[in-house]
Amino acid sequence: MNEIEEYLAAAAGQPEVQVGEDITIRVDLAMAHDVTAPLALTAFAEIGIDRVFDKRKVAFVADHVYPAPTVQARQGQRQMRNFANTYGIKMFEGEGVCHQVVAENYSLPRGSVVVGADSHTCTAGAYGALAIGVGSTEFAAAMATGTLDIEVPPVYEVVLDGILVPGVYAKDIILHLIGAFGTAGFTDKAVIFTGEWVRTASLEERMTISNMTIEMGAMLSYFSIKNDVGSVAKVHKFDVSMIVPLMAAPSSPANVQPVANLAGQTVTQVIIGSCTNGRINDMREAAAVFSHASINPNVNCIILPASQLVAQAMEDEGLTKIFRRAGATIANAGCGPCFGGHLGLAASDDVVISTTNRNFPGRMGSKESRVYLASPRTAAEAAVAGKIVTPGTVAELGGRTDE
Amino acid sequence: MNKNMIFKGRIWLFDDAVDTDQILPGYAMAYPQDELKKYAMAGSAMPDFSQKVQVGDIIVAGNNFGCGSSREQAPVSLKSAGVSLIIAPTFARIFRRNAINIGLAVMQADLTTLVKTGDIITVDLKSGSVELPDGNVVSGHVPGENILAILAAGGLINKVRQQLTKQEV
Ligand code: SF4
Repeated sequence: MNEIEEYLAAAAGQPEVQVGEDITIRVDLAMAHDVTAPLALTAFAEIGIDRVFDKRKVAFVADHVYPAPTVQARQGQRQMRNFANTYGIKMFEGEGVCHQVVAENYSLPRGSVVVGADSHTCTAGAYGALAIGVGSTEFAAAMATGTLDIEVPPVYEVVLDGILVPGVYAKDIILHLIGAFGTAGFTDKAVIFTGEWVRTASLEERMTISNMTIEMGAMLSYFSIKNDVGSVAKVHKFDVSMIVPLMAAPSSPANVQPVANLAGQTVTQVIIGSCTNGRINDMREAAAVFSHASINPNVNCIILPASQLVAQAMEDEGLTKIFRRAGATIANAGCGPCFGGHLGLAASDDVVISTTNRNFPGRMGSKESRVYLASPRTAAEAAVAGKIVTPGTVAELGGRTDE
Repeated sequence: MNKNMIFKGRIWLFDDAVDTDQILPGYAMAYPQDELKKYAMAGSAMPDFSQKVQVGDIIVAGNNFGCGSSREQAPVSLKSAGVSLIIAPTFARIFRRNAINIGLAVMQADLTTLVKTGDIITVDLKSGSVELPDGNVVSGHVPGENILAILAAGGLINKVRQQLTKQEV
């Protein structure tokens, strides 16, 4: 068995598991947010049970539409709060994006099972959790039973060796992989990340990569600290030092191209943040650009810290001041415009550079708007230049400034 | 949900990579649950699908059906429009689970080159066999025990309710 299979077997309480086998695993944390929880509450009521499986192991997060842009959104949050109070479970309101809030507030040892009613739940694989995204009904069932039924996925190993060159970041690595494997490359499969680069990467960097494994269809993403993870279906090796600054051009995360090929494209809005790239290392990277130059008057730049703790760290390190002076708008910690919810929707002629994870048509507002996905550094430089430029054009690259 | 897991129905053929925005566009998410069926496939190549589909019909599609968001409203719209079964070589995982959980059967098989819209096929989900209009039988992936149990119960909520009552007895 490989490392993922060992943890799945442990979670299922059986000595071993076979690929394709149906197993029932115990849940260590069940999380839902203000878009998926309201539907789950209806399903939970239909089950007709008067308690959750373990109140310490269920969490609600109001992040997608917080502060509420519509009465309906607020109604959903009130429903969640009332449920949370009735059942004695924890609800985080306005404290940040669910995946970051989970990482900051729960200590989840390797092999813990996290069930999240959000497709980017896979972010938690960065610290060794087996984190599975589910829909509202499955979340309701997990909340009632404390278990989840899954099929044991085949496991693939992605080895990341080498050292990144200046101007290339974790975001470029995951864009490179999505470009290579496509949006269905790992559907129903699990991915273990290993290699020299992985062992030296920061938690933040690993979270950026794990976050976007769902963009390759992966059911599970897991970052190993071992040299030998056991036998896997296939091993894919990459030398990260060969990767150049990349972007996913409209309208698929798999439409990946070198930034150099897209240089010159006019930009009207820049979003820096989200659960993909809204952590303090990302903010430092953006601030390194904005401390040299102001944002182009034709560009709206919105900073979206992943959590209140990140926002506080930005404050403490003087980054907030740098962003404001450069002309950026700092939004509250949460999802904001990432999924087209509020706080910066795109118009039909907007060209957006965003550090988020999806650029499907209409994801961020108008169906005609064009969204490019990139690293915080690439996004910040575009905000200053008013067009796509290769990292290092606006301000000199300082190498690995964030570690 | 038929207990024998045998589905006989008319086919609607779709392409590869029908994503959740095609199945149920984002704008339709705001409508009440009982109106979702009007928007089934509204963003797809067949936007008037909901007016044409009849109870018991079967969707046959290409790879990666249901990719994109985890919105459960997507399979709900298809089920309430009357779709009884979706057959595709591969599904996006969360969509597939969502469909099963609400009691909408799915099967993995590649029929896209074997059938056309309007054909009638008979599918035995338990054995994974598909009888084509010409009488030929092809086989698809047999769903696991867990999946069949959820479908037999008419969805995950019913199954969990049955489980919990059993435990209490
Ligand atoms: S920040 Fe974006 S991708 Fe992350 S949870 Fe929120 S909406 Fe989803």
